[in-house]
Amino acid sequence: MSKYILHKEDSRHHEYNDWLESKKTFSFADYYNPKRIHFGALRVFNDDIVKATKGFGKHPHDNMEIISIPLQGSLIHKDNLGNEEVIRAGEIQVMSTGSGVFHSEYNHETEQSTRFLQIWIYPSALNVTPHYGRLTLQNAWFDNQFSTFVAPVASEKAAMIHQDAYLSMGKFSGDKEFSYTIQQNGNGAYLYVIDGSIDIDGHVLSTGDALGISDTAAFNGQVKSNSATILVIDVPMNIQL
Amino acid sequence: MTDKSSLNLLAIGYHPEIMQVVHRLINSHNGWNGTIANSLEQAATLLHSNNYDGILLCAGVNEADEAQVRNIASNARIIRHYGGGSGLLENEIRIAFEI
Repeated sequence: MSKYILHKEDSRHHEYNDWLESKKTFSFADYYNPKRIHFGALRVFNDDIVKATKGFGKHPHDNMEIISIPLQGSLIHKDNLGNEEVIRAGEIQVMSTGSGVFHSEYNHETEQSTRFLQIWIYPSALNVTPHYGRLTLQNAWFDNQFSTFVAPVASEKAAMIHQDAYLSMGKFSGDKEFSYTIQQNGNGAYLYVIDGSIDIDGHVLSTGDALGISDTAAFNGQVKSNSATILVIDVPMNIQL
Repeated sequence: MTDKSSLNLLAIGYHPEIMQVVHRLINSHNGWNGTIANSLEQAATLLHSNNYDGILLCAGVNEADEAQVRNIASNARIIRHYGGGSGLLENEIRIAFEI
């Protein structure tokens, strides 16, 4: 029988400073809630709004798969691997931080804020050689269907991470029914509603809400608004930390 | 029983620049005292002559190294640190010590 965990938009930890507004689903930095640590291998899900020209200065990471998804605006990424890239809404970047990497992420916009999702997934192997990747998403991939854009194996439509995890997105029109099949045995799915309203097995989710689903091979849902954009993070549930 | 208001922590990792950041972050927390080991040999020397409440395994430390550390320091809490910075470090220590 499927297990569900509901994270409503207003249950996220919300904090501000003079350049950053951050909504944190799981415990992170100064925010600590023992009931909100991780969903399987998904450890961090931050919804960040960064003011124009501001951002995260040079800082290190290791042993974490970090995916950034700009929803509005653009980020400029620089790292000690020699990468310097501007990532705009409609593109994504992945960092396999492995044995260690230093990077910075700033809002590349000079006048408007940039909003992006910052997703951290525990790696399946320690101390891998750091790797940076980016991908331009095509709208057609997501038209009334889920399309996977992050996966354990790179392809034309997917950037690679070091975990048996998959990120997929779908943009569905009103009243459309949708279904999703878990991509690996033992994985669960963490659904995040980027915009719109949906119903999954009686759980009504609106913009900013999330639902973790485990112990199932697939699930169905229905769009309850004019349209809905849904992100699915499909991750191993049994991880050794 | 560990006095949770005061923690003596050894952080082992092989990326010196990252370990400088980890050191600074541990010591910026009131009551936490961090010592850094940049090699397994250095860690072994420190573990033989000091008592630590917890040992953080950081960048570069693999499963074989972890087994050696667990063998030397059987009474300390071993904490695998992921992320290499401020995002998870405090959380991981608080989880380990139920603070």
